[in-house]
Amino acid sequence: MIRILGAAMVLLLAPFCAAAQTPAPDGHEQEIRDMRARIEKLEKLVAELQKENESKNSVTAAQTASQPIQAPAEPSSQSAEPNVQVMTADHSGDHQLGATNEAERRFPALHFRGFGDVDFSATDDKSTKSGFNMGQFILHLSSPLSQKVAVFGETSFTATPTGYNVDVERLLIRYDYNDFFKLSFGRYHTPINYWNTAFHHGLWLQTTIARPEMIRFGGRFQPVHFLGMLAEGNVPSGGLGLGYSAGLGNGRSGNIARAGDAGDVNNNRAWVVNVFSRPARFNGLQVGGAVYGDLISPSPALTGNPQFRELITSAHIVWTRETPEFLAEFAHVRHRNILTQGVFNSQAAYVQVAYRLPGEARKWKPYYRFEWSNISRSDPLFTVADLTVAVRDLTGSTVGIRYDITNLAAFKGEYRHTVRTVTDPTVNGLFFQTSFTF
Amino acid sequence: MRTPTKFGTCVTRACLLALSLVWSAAAGTPTEGDIAIVVSPDNPVGNLTLPELRKIYLGERQYWKGNSPVVLLMRSRGSREREVVLRVIYQMSEEQYTQYWVAKVMRADASDPPASLYSYGIVQEGIRGNSGAIGYVRLNDVRPGVKVLRIGGLLPGEPGYPLH
Repeated sequence: MIRILGAAMVLLLAPFCAAAQTPAPDGHEQEIRDMRARIEKLEKLVAELQKENESKNSVTAAQTASQPIQAPAEPSSQSAEPNVQVMTADHSGDHQLGATNEAERRFPALHFRGFGDVDFSATDDKSTKSGFNMGQFILHLSSPLSQKVAVFGETSFTATPTGYNVDVERLLIRYDYNDFFKLSFGRYHTPINYWNTAFHHGLWLQTTIARPEMIRFGGRFQPVHFLGMLAEGNVPSGGLGLGYSAGLGNGRSGNIARAGDAGDVNNNRAWVVNVFSRPARFNGLQVGGAVYGDLISPSPALTGNPQFRELITSAHIVWTRETPEFLAEFAHVRHRNILTQGVFNSQAAYVQVAYRLPGEARKWKPYYRFEWSNISRSDPLFTVADLTVAVRDLTGSTVGIRYDITNLAAFKGEYRHTVRTVTDPTVNGLFFQTSFTF
Repeated sequence: MRTPTKFGTCVTRACLLALSLVWSAAAGTPTEGDIAIVVSPDNPVGNLTLPELRKIYLGERQYWKGNSPVVLLMRSRGSREREVVLRVIYQMSEEQYTQYWVAKVMRADASDPPASLYSYGIVQEGIRGNSGAIGYVRLNDVRPGVKVLRIGGLLPGEPGYPLH
């Protein structure tokens, strides 16, 4: 006991000694505050150790039966403080708690996390210029309001030539009844695609610099956002690990790259059903598929003011363990002109492979991605005059490497080779990115 | 004076005894290294398979039967118990664990990551104060007031117990 207290005293005094040896100008005030916080934690730990030591003396032997072990004293009373709002900046992805009452969840709470990236690009495409550019700054909020109700939000700040655009990417409130039924309302990333709901706007989360083109932000091939309601949960299926999500919402807006946030453009709701399996036997494997239906009323209206029935089917198989990491997705988009009954079919897919190197080289993760899309050139929703928003054929390869500078920041560099059509020039480019979370 | 044969037998026996002592010291008893999964005595669950435990710790199963929420308790970085749980249950490194929970909260699959606690005493206090909590401690550190779960029908210390 004396040795424990002695060691604790040494630990407590060490920061003071260290602080005494170095001047503490303004820049070191934060460091001193951190030290004080650490001292407080250590003091709590010493108190806990003392308590445990006393408890040890009163208990002669630990029991290991599966039956409940009778406590010598009354269990500690819960110190739930429902009126206390907890606000945390969870920098490590790990809630480090040192006191017993902190192990209890408090409501309402607010956790926030930021994502950011800085990019450099240089290509042989004469229509673009090389240089640095600021990526999106993302602020993600999660707030459990009670044990079964939580609010999530994701806001983006995107650099433009005239300033920054602020956009609410996601905002939803979810009620969890149990593992099999969770109901939410709000703005989502459409669960039509694995990538769209796995990485969102957190570029640090994804291995590569950019999203696959079939689900890029601002793209028109698939609806990235969805406003409405979503039911999701697990399906009792034993080792198969089945899960589902089913949603009803506004679908695409008049500009089909956007969701109908300010109201639907017609009286037809979009719907989406997604089913997937995460087999218990293969930790990291997910196989799934989704179906999405909508009525599109393009704005500005096309000649004859046609509307289009949209049906999207997709499938994915992913292995998220990093040795190796494997992602593959396919999507088929079918548009039917209600006036002419003309049908337009387009497809897109990608396959991505990465491998976290072993041992001392584990900070490095080389990767390769192949992308392909075959777009119906007669589809009036995809074939538009502005090539920056048009959905076009693509055959492309990306080779790159990711280096994890720390647990929460990464540096990525990649080479891309892109071919559009036989009449378009092949584009080669080098891209670099520092992405991070905090 | 002993005969060479008797002397040889004694040397052989001494060598065998020394070898067995060295072997047992190197291997240790399985009990010493086993990690017990502990819950509140109020929790009706008494046995989990390893895949079920993995789903719980991965946050894929967030409710007990009866719809009470699962509260995950982890030990702080650097503890041996956490190292075992990351290796056997999560099958992840510390870096992958961090990234996993950042992504999970980002996906709105969970509102916060598991609490990481500094000592086994705090883990057990947390469990005593919350009927939905689940945590882990070394077998020798199990204290009164918590229930040790069977994993795949086995208690810690029994041959074949997976968490060590």
